[in-house]
Amino acid sequence: MTDAAGQVPRSAHAERSRAAAAVDRSRAAQPSGWWGMALFLCSEATLFGTLIGSYFYLNFGSHRWPPAGITPPEIPGPAISTAVLVGTVPLMVLGAAAARRGRRWSAVRWIVAAFVIQIAYLATQVLLIRHDLLDFTPQGTAYGSIYFTLLFADHAHVLLGLLLNGAVLYKVARHGLTNYWLIGVRGLALYWYVVVGITVAVLFTVLSPSL
Amino acid sequence: MATTVSPRAKQYTDELDRLWTERPGVLGWLTTTDHKRIGIMYFFTTLAFFGAGGVEALLIRSQLIGPNGHVLSPQAYDEVFTMHGITMIFLFVIPMTTGAFGNYLIPLMIGARDMAFPRLNALSFWIFLGSGLFMYAALLQGHAPNAGWFDYVPLASKQFDPGNNIDYYGYGLIFNGISSTIASINFIVTIFKLRAPGMSLNRMPLFCFAFLAVAFALLFALPSLSVAALFLELDRQLGFHFYDAAFGGAPLLWQNLFWIFGHPEVYIIILPAFGIATSIIPAFVHRRMVFFPLVALAEILVAFLGFGVWVHHMFTVGFSTLTTVYFAAASLIIVIPSAIQLFAWIATIVTGTPDFQTPLLFIIGFIVYFIIGGLSGITVAAIPFDQQVHDSYYIIAHFHFVIFGAAVFPILGGMYFWFPKVTGRVYHELTGKVSFWLTFAGTFITFFPMHIVGILGMPRRNYTYPPDMGWTLLNFIESIGSYLLAAGLILIVANLAISYFRGPRTDPPFEGDTLEWATSSPPPPYNFAVIPTVRSPYPMWDKEDRERDNQRLERGEGLLNLEHATPATTVQDAQLDEILSMPSHSPWPPLTALALTGVFAMLVMQHYWIAFGFLVVGGLTLLGWHQNEEQA
Repeated sequence: MTDAAGQVPRSAHAERSRAAAAVDRSRAAQPSGWWGMALFLCSEATLFGTLIGSYFYLNFGSHRWPPAGITPPEIPGPAISTAVLVGTVPLMVLGAAAARRGRRWSAVRWIVAAFVIQIAYLATQVLLIRHDLLDFTPQGTAYGSIYFTLLFADHAHVLLGLLLNGAVLYKVARHGLTNYWLIGVRGLALYWYVVVGITVAVLFTVLSPSL
Repeated sequence: MATTVSPRAKQYTDELDRLWTERPGVLGWLTTTDHKRIGIMYFFTTLAFFGAGGVEALLIRSQLIGPNGHVLSPQAYDEVFTMHGITMIFLFVIPMTTGAFGNYLIPLMIGARDMAFPRLNALSFWIFLGSGLFMYAALLQGHAPNAGWFDYVPLASKQFDPGNNIDYYGYGLIFNGISSTIASINFIVTIFKLRAPGMSLNRMPLFCFAFLAVAFALLFALPSLSVAALFLELDRQLGFHFYDAAFGGAPLLWQNLFWIFGHPEVYIIILPAFGIATSIIPAFVHRRMVFFPLVALAEILVAFLGFGVWVHHMFTVGFSTLTTVYFAAASLIIVIPSAIQLFAWIATIVTGTPDFQTPLLFIIGFIVYFIIGGLSGITVAAIPFDQQVHDSYYIIAHFHFVIFGAAVFPILGGMYFWFPKVTGRVYHELTGKVSFWLTFAGTFITFFPMHIVGILGMPRRNYTYPPDMGWTLLNFIESIGSYLLAAGLILIVANLAISYFRGPRTDPPFEGDTLEWATSSPPPPYNFAVIPTVRSPYPMWDKEDRERDNQRLERGEGLLNLEHATPATTVQDAQLDEILSMPSHSPWPPLTALALTGVFAMLVMQHYWIAFGFLVVGGLTLLGWHQNEEQA
């Protein structure tokens, strides 16, 4: 405002890393973009809560789970790959923290490191699903339907995260860490925290017959 | 509110006009991000769907006016009553309240210049329009959804409904849900972040509390519907078995998922009506709302408790006594916050000096019908009674008193109340009162006899009935009532339409208490020349503050007239925190929605690769979207 311009930051004017970091520090509340992502993730977490609830609803209503002819899931492969994915959370924390301090290239490096691991995770999961599909299909039983739907939904979120990684990295590397993309980095990190949490919940759900 | 301004103030407002005025013409409307224009587009779109749903209702009543009716074939009747339900719930009441009223009014009520994410706001409208046209395209093709608005399996499974009627339902609701999710996120962030300096949460209008509760309820309820519809389409189109008992699936899973969404949905429908009531009542009884904090808490509590009662829609499916008793008790608990609001409205009216103009009449009608619908709701929370009247016309009577009487009446009252604000003209009061009495009488005559005919055993959804059941006279009365109701609704639309062209251009004939009345009617593109400051929940009645706003305009303070911007404040105390640059017109929201419409159209036709192609196109539009670095 013309009367308050001296005291109140104009976020759109923060077009360089340090200026964006200064705006970030001066805020007394989370920015709108952060809230938008947090609420979107609440919706997605509810979606997975419903999917997981449906899994157990079908599980508790059946006499045998998994049905006859389907072997219970193996633990090591999915568990190890998910543990590796969990390892990207500190990298995203460091990336977001670097961005908030105005360290553009440091943020990029941390996110790229996480990006590589996340790609490897998804590739591993694709191979594991191919292996599962040799054993049973979603069209065979309700167990197969919910098992693969849960995994596909989770992997779709990982894939979306990878696309977001690519877009944010491209923008930050090419155009700089403006206020807009600093909030973007924070939103991206928040996205991964929740998606990793969801992935762990999905893992425990699908592995539950073997636990 | 018309005010005289000095040349200097005029210069400031001209600058704001240049910054905020959007393109004229069709292109301007297609690319708009102005919350007021988007609200108006929501209004006319939902009104058109209301007309379609109304015609469907009249077809149903014409079919049932006498025994052995032949207005509709059984197949057409199935499609018409299903589309009536879908239209009224998903394409009229929710988008009319949140989309039209919420979009237009919330930024004005909180003293903001737009929604938090203006382009997302436009996207939610275009997706809503796409989803509505998508479902009505099915009707035009003769493949409209035909298994009822709650679409129970196995009736809705591929085996028993092999056409693509149900696929339009499943994909249509997922598509529509995207719009509602985006809108609810936008409302929450707008209310959290863009309130005028000083409008701490305890000073926020009750209207905004109601919409905040609705937005949260939508956010957490919709995933359940989306998952239910996703499972349905995977079953139907790809041969999965979520609902197929022969392969380990569970038909009751559908009912649970649907009603986990469906009962909060009832409060999603009715809470905005509560918000409208709390806006209209103080303006016409000239006093503050009684129990303001309790009403605010009750609004939120209703939305919260609504998530714990879904099984009362399923008392006949064979759950254990313990389960049904728990949900019956939970259902009765909702009476408490509902009653708090009811007593607050009545107490405010009784202790004020009521001026019975048309908007207040509609709110009184709403209170009467909410009591009737609420009392019949208590009867169906009683398990043995519910088991007797389940799927009978008693249930139709109950929820029409709640949804039409209690949710639509405030919408109609709100249309009259804010008509002068939106158009700058005043409606014809006598015609307004006549339209109220026609609508009020029509509603009662249409829906009240349904209680009796339901207790007499008439099941819902039967396309006709034999003459010797004792239902003939009651059905005849109901159908006559529906024509009367239609006449009342047509009179409302005619009154407002004629007043838009010929109504007197004067200040509104009442004094609202919230900030939307602080600006001109219709509001300028920038909403407020000076960002207002707030010291109570009734900012328009704080005359000193509004006078100070005028003085600040003269001094050029608090204008934000150098860029397309709005202030952001802290969530709890609304302290000024930063100045946000806001986007103006954008072509990307309608293009993204168009791509999504292509995705869902191709999914129904099972052209999955083409659907994927449209999805990629949608992704590319999002890249274009982010070329400009402003709020989303």
